[in-house]
Order: sequence, then structure tokens, then C-alpha cells
Amino acid sequence: MDQFNEIINTFFFIILPYLSIFTFLLVSIYRYRSRSFVYSSLSSQFLENRQHFWGMVPFHYGILTILAGHLVWFLFPKTTLLWNSVPLRLYIMEVSVFIFGLITFTGLINIIIRRRSDKKTRVITTTTDWIVLILLTIQIISGLYVAFFYRWGSSWFASSMSPYLHSIFKFNPDLAFISSMPFMVKLHIISAFSIILLFPFTRLVHVLVVPNPYLWRKPQVVRWNWDRKKIRDIENNSI
Amino acid sequence: MRKLYFIVLAILFFLSFSVLYGQSTEEFFERNCFSCHTIGGGRLTGPDLKNVDQRKDTAWLEKFILNPEVILRGGDPYAAKLLKEARGVRMTRVAGLTSGLVKNLLKFIKEESAKEKTRFAKSALKERPLTPEDIVLGRQFFLGTLPLTNKGPACLGCHSIAGEGFFGGGNLGPDLTSVIGRLGGKTALMAWLSNPSSATMSPIYRKQPLDEEEILPLVAFFKSKSEKNASYMEVHDFNFMIFGFIGLILVLLIFDLLWGKRLRSVREKLVKGELE
Repeated sequence: MDQFNEIINTFFFIILPYLSIFTFLLVSIYRYRSRSFVYSSLSSQFLENRQHFWGMVPFHYGILTILAGHLVWFLFPKTTLLWNSVPLRLYIMEVSVFIFGLITFTGLINIIIRRRSDKKTRVITTTTDWIVLILLTIQIISGLYVAFFYRWGSSWFASSMSPYLHSIFKFNPDLAFISSMPFMVKLHIISAFSIILLFPFTRLVHVLVVPNPYLWRKPQVVRWNWDRKKIRDIENNSI
Repeated sequence: MRKLYFIVLAILFFLSFSVLYGQSTEEFFERNCFSCHTIGGGRLTGPDLKNVDQRKDTAWLEKFILNPEVILRGGDPYAAKLLKEARGVRMTRVAGLTSGLVKNLLKFIKEESAKEKTRFAKSALKERPLTPEDIVLGRQFFLGTLPLTNKGPACLGCHSIAGEGFFGGGNLGPDLTSVIGRLGGKTALMAWLSNPSSATMSPIYRKQPLDEEEILPLVAFFKSKSEKNASYMEVHDFNFMIFGFIGLILVLLIFDLLWGKRLRSVREKLVKGELE
């Protein structure tokens, strides 16, 4: 039983992380160099826009905030603990992160509903897109579960998760910090590394090529410069 | 490219396996066992281990130490007796324990038992009467408002205690309101805090141990809590959830106010104009 546990832990918390990180680095570069034109998340905004807003906007603002939080806890654990040393500040951090977790989840649910219910978007949704959505669902549900049932995550992330993650990046993995964490915490870690592993093979690569100038360029309205009705008629007649 | 990928991966696997560092049996005992057991100093959370090999046969002891949970769950009558004596506190499996190490540990305990004086008879911590000031200090250490000397994380991050904080303490670890009774009194709790042996706390506080002058105030704080709050209502979960959902609704409203019309107002008019 113990040996089995040890093998499982070694696989998921040592082998999987390294496999993920290096697949992510190498394949992302390889794919960018060899097939840069499909290095995006094929937009479906033209196909359906109303539900799109309530999926994309909450999801992206949510996930960016949450990721920024995790990154700060990972890079500056001591500062995090110092911030959390006043209970009020700890509560502000935890409630904000929980709120943004719920926002991300709301966005994700809308994305999934839209992709299932809207005919046009369903057609262009590939199997890998569904895999990404399933992984994100696991990731966000486990994250919310951990945030609620195993408080206060920001504090123990800084004192237990950061040393574990640091040990991975120092090529001297130390599982002592996480080997006895609850199942949901482990699931959250495993699904995070799975997402990183699949990252370069999926639409997630758009994270690396965010068109930042969109933030400050002038809005554009795209219109078709031909008579769409006429074209539709021709198409219909030909069928 | 593919070849390079596999080469890099192979090198990394090789690098990633850590080298196990050696430690003596004595050190192992001090770090992992001494927080709950003395050798000849009487009971702490767990029983005194002096001459333990005369109370139970070696084969049973080896099996139990290697994985207490299996024996406890198996319904062994002697294990059940031990559990009762420890007021239900279960001995945890010690990480990194091998059957070879267990044999060495038993040998070590036997040797120490034979000695007239061993440093494992009594914790090195000095005891003194606890004062009301200790309770105030202990509360600050618990909350984190007063930093710990060795920069260890404050208790509140993982533990709740009755009557502290609007959202309460953490719940990754157990509630500490009655911890002093659970672990078996002041001395046992002091010994435990000087070397926390739980799987989650041990790697953290091994590097950043609690200071003697932090342990005593914390014990005073826990003692006062256990005396005052035999039972209490827990509302923190509810508070936290409600704040979460109120926040969610507020942020969605802000999104709608800010950008709800961003994508629709201009284009809808244009598209309509085109259709008419």
C-alpha cells in the first residue's frame, strides 16, 4: 500500500511536472516555429456574440486574477505570509480570490453552454477544445473546493506549496510538503500540470500570443463589403 | 527537434531524482518520535517507550511503527487499548520510514532504556507557570500579528479556534479549541509544539521551529480557549460563502455596466441599417 502510494506520488508530483514543463517549453517553441498560422484560439466571436460576452469576459478576468494570485504566492511566499499576518488582510485576499474563482467558474459554465447549444460554434469546437474545457472544469471546481473547504489557501500555499514547487524548479523535488495533502488539493495540482502538458497542443497557446495592442487600439467594426443576400440566394439555389 | 526533446527529457529525469540524505537513528527519533514519546519520562501524547520491547513482541512493534493505521483499522485489541489511552489520537505513519529504520529505532530505544539517564526522558524545554500576559502573546502568535522568531507561518493560516476572526481560522488542519486536552495536557502539548510531527507541519517547522518563548504563550492561549469555550457555534463557512456570492454578483454587474453595450450598441445599429 505504501509502496503503491509512493509510486503514485512520484509519478504525479515528480514525473508529471517535469514532463509537463519541458513538453510545454519545447513543443510551444516548435509549434510556433513550424506552424505559426494556427497558433491561436480560433475565434468564434463572429458566429455568436451575446453568450460569448458572458462567457469570455468573466472567464478571462477571473482566470487572469487567479493566476496572478497563484504566481505571487509562488514567487513571493514570504511577502504573502507577511501580508496575511493581519487577519483582516488575509480575509480580503481570500474573499477576493474566492470571488474571482466564482467569476471564472461562471464564465466557464457560459462557455460550455454556448459551445453546446449554439449550432455554429458547436461545429467548430474540436475534440481538443472539449478536453481543454473538461480539464479547466476539473481545475476550477477543485480550486473552489480547496478555497472553501481547506482555508486559508494563500497562507498554506506560501508555506507548503511554494517549497514543493520551488523544489521542482531547483531539480531537487521534495514531496514532504504535499504528500499528505487532501485529495482535492492533489487533484488541483495534477490537473494543473495536465493543463500545462497539453497546453502546446491546444487552443491554449493563444495565451503566449495575446494581441496586447487590442487593449488600446481603436475599436473596429467588421462588415462584409458585398451583398450577402445575393450570395446566400446563389448558394441556396446551387444546393 | 524530436530527438532533442527526448534527450532533454532523459537528462531531466536523471537530475530530478533527489539524493536521499542520511540521518542517524537518534536524529530520526528526536525529529519524529520525541514530540509524543519519552524514554523513561512518562506519558506525553503517546506512551512512554522505556522497555517497550518487554511489553509487546518485536514483530508486532515493527509492523505497528511502520504503519499504525493498518493495525488500528485491523481491529487489533492491543492497538485499540493504546488508542484509548491516547484519548483517540492516532499515531501517524512517519514519512520515509523503512523496515530497516524501524529495526534500528527499536534497537535505539532498547539502548536508551538501559541507560540510567537519557536526554529523551524529558523535553529540553523549560517549564514555568503560565501568566495572563502569555495568553495575550499567544493569541498574537496564533493570529500572526506578532511574527515568529524563525519566520514560521502563523497558526491561523490552517487552524481555527473558537471565537477568533469574522471568517474564522483555516480548516486545512484541525480546530485547535480543545487541542490541549486532546494531546494530553500542557507538557504533552509543549513537547508536540517543540517538534510538530504531523505530515504537513513537520517539514515546515523542522526548518523554522517554534521558539521556547513562543511555545509557552501558545500553550497558555490554547489552555484559556479550552477552558472558556467548551462548545460554540460555527458561522464562518456561511459568512465566507455569502461574501463570495455577493462579490460575484457585484463584479458581474460592473462588467455589464462597463461593457455590456460595448459589443452591441454600435454594431447592432449598423447591422440593422444594412438590413433595412
